[in-house]
Amino acid sequence: MWSLRRCYTRLSESGGMGYVYKIVGKILAVAFMAGILAGCGTMEKEEEKTSIRIGVSLYRGDDTFINNIRSELENCAKEYEQRHGVKVALDIQDAKGSQNVQNNQVERFISLGYDVMCINPVDRTAASAMIDKAMTAQIPVVFFNRQPVEEDMNRWDQLYYVGAAARESAVLQGNIVVDEYRKDPKSLDRNGDGVVSYVLLEGESSHQDSLIRTEWSIQTLKDGGVPIEKITGGIANWERSQASALMEQWLDQYPDKIELVVCNNDDMALGAIDALERAGIDKIKLVGIDATTPGQEAVRTGKLLGTVSADKEQYAGAIFSIAAAKALGKPVSEELSLEEDKYYWSPQEIMISP
Amino acid sequence: MITKKEKALWILYGVVLFLLFLLSSTNLIIKEKERRIYGISVIIEDTSDDNYVNFRKGMDRAAMELYGDVSFITLYDKGSVKQQEELILREQQDGCKALIVAPVDAKRVLEMQEDKRINVPLILLNSEIGSGGDGITERIGFDYYQMGQDLGKQILEDSVFEGKIRRKAFLFGETDPVSIQFRDGILDQLKPEGVEIVLWEGSEASLKEALEGKQGEQMVLIALDPVSLTEMAQLLLDMGTENKSPGLYGRGTAVRLLNYLDKGVIQGLCITDDFSAGYLSVKMAVELAENQIVEDLGYLESRCIRREDLRDVEFEKMLYPIE
Repeated sequence: MWSLRRCYTRLSESGGMGYVYKIVGKILAVAFMAGILAGCGTMEKEEEKTSIRIGVSLYRGDDTFINNIRSELENCAKEYEQRHGVKVALDIQDAKGSQNVQNNQVERFISLGYDVMCINPVDRTAASAMIDKAMTAQIPVVFFNRQPVEEDMNRWDQLYYVGAAARESAVLQGNIVVDEYRKDPKSLDRNGDGVVSYVLLEGESSHQDSLIRTEWSIQTLKDGGVPIEKITGGIANWERSQASALMEQWLDQYPDKIELVVCNNDDMALGAIDALERAGIDKIKLVGIDATTPGQEAVRTGKLLGTVSADKEQYAGAIFSIAAAKALGKPVSEELSLEEDKYYWSPQEIMISP
Repeated sequence: MITKKEKALWILYGVVLFLLFLLSSTNLIIKEKERRIYGISVIIEDTSDDNYVNFRKGMDRAAMELYGDVSFITLYDKGSVKQQEELILREQQDGCKALIVAPVDAKRVLEMQEDKRINVPLILLNSEIGSGGDGITERIGFDYYQMGQDLGKQILEDSVFEGKIRRKAFLFGETDPVSIQFRDGILDQLKPEGVEIVLWEGSEASLKEALEGKQGEQMVLIALDPVSLTEMAQLLLDMGTENKSPGLYGRGTAVRLLNYLDKGVIQGLCITDDFSAGYLSVKMAVELAENQIVEDLGYLESRCIRREDLRDVEFEKMLYPIE
């Protein structure tokens, strides 16, 4: 009441209704300008983006599985361009196993103003520096294949992870052997001593999948009633050549003892096959994971008993869908259903030799 | 009690420190050169970058060193002139400052430029035509005709060296302009020596079938493009008779081809310095975008190698460039 009265008094003093018009006019003008500005903002927001830029950094481009994912990502980008008429600039870089190189690539993506980054971390425990940079630049990140630690993933709601559940891969791999043993125990227990003697080829010790795959694959064999005995095991860092060298060494050390080779991935299984072929041995059974193109070929030709296939099309499709949605400012939930709003697990199936 | 002299010294220290701060941490005294980042689009004639691996390495290196923002674009369908045309226009509309194009049809691309539909500097990869020398259209690539001649010489040398006379040569593969130049070079070497030439138009598999059961040792297989060479090498490898197979020759630098050469499936391979091509094309694009005058590079280096050359330092640098 006080202010109204005061205002009325002021109005009367300053010339009556003319002053009112001036004030109302000013208010309307301000409101009009504000409306225009707000409208402009909305128009800008509503304007559809015609191009998106996605930076992809791979831990190592010569890893067969990663290379398959890379090809699928390129296919996804092309398909998306054709279907939606949105230009997709996909810059795929190889970190060559160096975290420093990957950090530089991330910095470059940021400085060039990329909309989203898809990162396959070299060192999953060193993701926090990349996350810091992405958070500062407000660029969403889709991690894949190597899962950053949970604390890092929880730091920002614009971080996502796409992968294949390691435990599921391992259980499926174990089941390939269990089924084979149930069908024909002698195909695995070749010397008939009632025990399947195996060697184990493991991936990098720092990779979460290698530990989980090893643990659950062996556990599944035990649970499935396969009598097993470990002869030895070694870390071949997911690499064909390292696996080949280890296998060659074991064939010398344990002649006629090895009946099964359990491998954390297909590349290492193929390395072991190389060593077996050099030694002229073809009766040892091998199992892998990933179903890479050469891995699938080995299954088809019977060199590999079986492998576990993460649907690479769907795997790469999930990475791309999240990235495209974030780049266009759309909610990811429209494209995919995510666990805890940030994790996507690619479905898997087994492939067995005919 | 602090003296006037000491006070002056402290002030002087302060001023010096402040100046050092301005020098080192700000742009006020030493003006940092403003870096412009140039958007450069590379559009190739293929659907994948399988034959551009080393080219991309060189391209990425140049992009980092010269502040280029390079987009590498492949076609949706191999050899589609229309798609390439659309992509050229799209990239230009998107604001690229220079275009590097491996043309499906070089004449068509040049027509687009003549019609002023392309109005940014253009660099043509592996194209015989298009070196305008006008600072607008430049060319970078290899002399595929010469490369074909070199391979022809090598084939003849190998025949003599092994004491066998390969009287018949089957040439197969793509008929794109580059492959045709390569083929012409080979033919100009082999024909005068009396080698019977068969230009095979069917698939690699049908050629392999046609050769089965024949006296393969008197024949030479020559792939005109890297994809056909890869397919034929794999077919021969699958046969498990690679050592008895007719000589297989071709061109390309993909790691897979080098592995076939190492395994003895391929006897002779023409290789190109793709890393330099990638680096120099981006360098040239940046220079053209900055309105600089660029020098004509002529043809870049290419060589024909055998299995024993793979470990040669000279070729190692070319085949496995360090990024």
